[in-house]
Amino acid sequence: MKSQKDIAKEIRRKAIKKNWQLFRRSKLGMIGLYIVIFFLFLTILQPILFITGVWNKGVYDPVVGYSEQFQEFLVVECPKEYPTDKYDERSDCPGRTEVNIRTLFYSDAEVGETIIQNLQPAPPSRKHILGTDSLGRDVFSQIMEGSQVAFVLGLLSATLGVGISTILGTIAAFFGGRIDSYLMRQSDLILMLPTLPLLFIISAFAELKIWHLAVVLGTIGGLGGSVITIKSQALQVKVKPFVDSARITGGSRMNILFSHVLPNVAPLALLFMVFSVTGAIASESVLSFLGLLNIDMSWGLMIYLAQVEGFIFSGMKFWWLILPAGLSVTFLTGGFYLVGRGLDEVFNPRLRDR
Amino acid sequence: MNILEVKNLNMSYKTIDGEVEAVKDVSFSVKEGESFGLVGESGCGKTSVAMSLLQLQADNGKITNGEIVFDGIDIVGLNESELREVRWSGISIVFQGAMNSWNPVVKIGEQIREAMREHYPDKTKDENTKKILELFNIVGLDETIIDRFPHELSGGMKQRAVIALALSCDPKLIIADEPTTALDVVIQDQILNEIRKVQEVLGLSLIYISHDIAVIAEMTDNMAVMYAGSIVEMGNTNKVFSNPQHSYTRMLLESTPSIVGPKKKLRSLDGEPPSLINTDPYCLFSYRCPNPDDNCKNRNLEMQLIKIEEDHYADKCCVNCG
Amino acid sequence: MYKYIFKRVYQLIIVFFLFLITSYVLFDSIPGNAFQNLLLNPDLPPEAYEQVIKLYGLDKPLSERVFLYVQNFLQGDFGYSYKHYPKTPIELISQRLPRTLMLFAMVNIIAFYTGFLIGKILAWRRGSKSETWITVTSVFSYTIFYPWFALMMLWFFGYKLDWLPIGKFLYPEKWYDAPFDSDVVFVSMIQFTAIVSIIQILVYIYTRNIESLSMRRNARFGSFIIITLASLFYWNTGELLIQKPYAMDIAYHMILPIFTVTVVAFAGTALLTRTTMMEVMKDDFILTARAKGLSQKRIRDRHAARNALLPVVTSFIFTIVTIIDGSVLTETIFSWPGMGQLILQSVLEEDIPVAMASFSFIGIFALVAHFIADISYAYLDPRIRIQSQG
Repeated sequence: MKSQKDIAKEIRRKAIKKNWQLFRRSKLGMIGLYIVIFFLFLTILQPILFITGVWNKGVYDPVVGYSEQFQEFLVVECPKEYPTDKYDERSDCPGRTEVNIRTLFYSDAEVGETIIQNLQPAPPSRKHILGTDSLGRDVFSQIMEGSQVAFVLGLLSATLGVGISTILGTIAAFFGGRIDSYLMRQSDLILMLPTLPLLFIISAFAELKIWHLAVVLGTIGGLGGSVITIKSQALQVKVKPFVDSARITGGSRMNILFSHVLPNVAPLALLFMVFSVTGAIASESVLSFLGLLNIDMSWGLMIYLAQVEGFIFSGMKFWWLILPAGLSVTFLTGGFYLVGRGLDEVFNPRLRDR
Repeated sequence: MNILEVKNLNMSYKTIDGEVEAVKDVSFSVKEGESFGLVGESGCGKTSVAMSLLQLQADNGKITNGEIVFDGIDIVGLNESELREVRWSGISIVFQGAMNSWNPVVKIGEQIREAMREHYPDKTKDENTKKILELFNIVGLDETIIDRFPHELSGGMKQRAVIALALSCDPKLIIADEPTTALDVVIQDQILNEIRKVQEVLGLSLIYISHDIAVIAEMTDNMAVMYAGSIVEMGNTNKVFSNPQHSYTRMLLESTPSIVGPKKKLRSLDGEPPSLINTDPYCLFSYRCPNPDDNCKNRNLEMQLIKIEEDHYADKCCVNCG
Repeated sequence: MYKYIFKRVYQLIIVFFLFLITSYVLFDSIPGNAFQNLLLNPDLPPEAYEQVIKLYGLDKPLSERVFLYVQNFLQGDFGYSYKHYPKTPIELISQRLPRTLMLFAMVNIIAFYTGFLIGKILAWRRGSKSETWITVTSVFSYTIFYPWFALMMLWFFGYKLDWLPIGKFLYPEKWYDAPFDSDVVFVSMIQFTAIVSIIQILVYIYTRNIESLSMRRNARFGSFIIITLASLFYWNTGELLIQKPYAMDIAYHMILPIFTVTVVAFAGTALLTRTTMMEVMKDDFILTARAKGLSQKRIRDRHAARNALLPVVTSFIFTIVTIIDGSVLTETIFSWPGMGQLILQSVLEEDIPVAMASFSFIGIFALVAHFIADISYAYLDPRIRIQSQG
């Protein structure tokens, strides 16, 4: 004889299975899921490589590693006027495998000789799949580290934000009156503050590491416009007949809140969470790019360094410093967004294909 | 003169769980000026038949076989632009739940005009307006409705407006799919009278779809009873009512209360309609039939309509049921 | 009804003042102040710093300063900029604002129009192969890492191809002999754009009454031609003729930022339109429209898209609200000296009067825009219109 609880559990299991089937049918959702899983894999890969000793931490650590890249260079003298028959523009000299004699201060080498130098940043090679940056650190390892930061930051701030806005939104819907007014005005206030300048100000007086940033982003996000949306969703649930019947049969307010309202608001909250992750990752990248954060390594930081050291306008010459980081941010945020769209299709039957 | 002939129509929907055969080998015909009724419980396929008449079935629905000959032309083979000409000016439809048939942000008059512009591109705005007012007159709507938005109208008014919309392009055949389901009885009566009046005045053919057998009795000349995607009995309405042959038809009639005569206990059907996925060709009613005979129980008879009398046909396997 | 409006306005005012106070406190919590580099100057005695601080009242406690600020604010006195004395914040804002508006007005118009179009088509072609891939591409456009993308654009079009200028909004060399300020030119450009947009909207509204569809299309197209010709005429006469080459210079500098931001912005609208359209498409009245024999295009545009317009317009209004916030990054990367850059600079330099004035401006702007959003909502959805009148 199955108890009530067992039956309820089984119904829930079947519902989850059905939802998963529906999600699988969403092309967008699946593409997003694959992308997220790929980055998750990268996240786990790094510690595994270190632990199993495949990677030597001294060399491959994304922050303090150092790898020597010795290369042969031809000593040349760069002319004053361009174009010449060997070089088209000033930026073509010295070429990738050449070095201008004028920049060699501690060497007796002459023009035409080849010398061996330690050059960072080094292009991709067998040892370093994506090359190294100007401090000799492996770029691929940095990407993986950035992936870890992105996931931790994203999920933390999203969970915090959605938690706050769900609780506040439901309270506002249910208790109404003064509490509702107050919460709505509070949301308005947060909405009025411009996000980026606000983050600037906060970064000016608080040292922002990953956890701090996650809390800040989560709080701002949670107290803002999402409270209004969740409140309207909760209101729709509130006027449904089953809520009245729950009250008539003696359910306490808390009970109604948890077992009736929350499950109905959950899909929306879940959606918000997924989209908050994209916002959090993007915010962190932008702030790192502007040099305002105190995070050891992240994708935004990689691009910041590339810009500060002047590699951006070198174009494709140092592509491995710029492209992987930029693409990672783009694809991971895109991936989460696609997952959100997939979830949309699960929860909103009108959006499905059939 | 048959305005519509449906021959061996088969339609199915593709779903996650399988292919649902919604319409199985349905054939019937409708004469000019005739009123034809289609009755059956929810999910028996009547709406699917209606949708296929205008090729309006959902994206996952497909007509797998059969002909639909309207005014001498087989509609099944037509392409989209040819179909668009037939729609509304040849066959029009009054939908189930006509409340939602209206676009909420466009005025009623404009929505009717839109249809008229599509099929009569040369008429001027004044001519169209005049015609709309005439139609409103017929269905009993006030002139001012033309410039109103749908949400400003009551349910009954919206329904009447839908009928006016259906008439706007002078169709030869109107399909009314449960047009009064969501309305109260008084309005229902009014609407039914309107429809009948319109039909008589304009000489239209009407296909009336309903699950309410009483309404069918009142409104139609000929009728067909559908169950699980197939027609189980059809013919002249009076004859079917006075001499129902199929078990299902009998159950339908017996489940309707009457205000005359002695009080009888209502009989109803046990069980549920069958799943229409991967069905067999035998009678799908057999497991619910109160008096199945051996053939039904053994399920070895294929469904086939045989003639009972003039203008009255029923599925052969149930003719002998008790 | 009036009671409701009154209550809302009252709440709004309270929120606004809370906003002012919050902003001031936030600014104050940044360590240091605008005059600290006076301490570093070896030629100045330390008393100079003390004097300056006293002059600006920065030695007073926070609560007193906040109170003073609000008091002054109510009297319309916004003080003087700390760093750009004797300019007042109002002057600075009025100088910078047209530049931001010009840029982002163009961006938003183009982005929303294109986005709506694409989203509409995407939703209509649901399920086809091309739809999936275009949608995925739109998603990645939307989530692209903006600073990186902007820098790439700058590098590619500005440096590599040398087609477009790298940053800034004009070539100083060309403006040496200009008889007027760039602000004047900006203002006339904005005026022009505003007038053209309003005329276009009016044309749209008036042609709705024409019965025949082909005539309607012709009328709109004809008016477009007339407007274009009139604009050409307008810019070639009188004072505007003199302004023209300078306006062209500014326009030339606007191309790259507009293009870059539009790529990101249109995707957001496209995705929103697509989702909304997909919901609307399941409504019954779409079925009726099909039954009426209307063409696919008509159903898509007049019935489905028209109903999908509502959330999109709301989102458009919200974008306008956050226009300045969104402009910070763009203006920094493209060195476009507008409001966004002003806010950023004033925050970094701790130029409190300017920062406060900018924030106040944003706040008022947000509130007004919300109000306009509510009105336009009522106009677009007749159901709400009736309710609010009743």
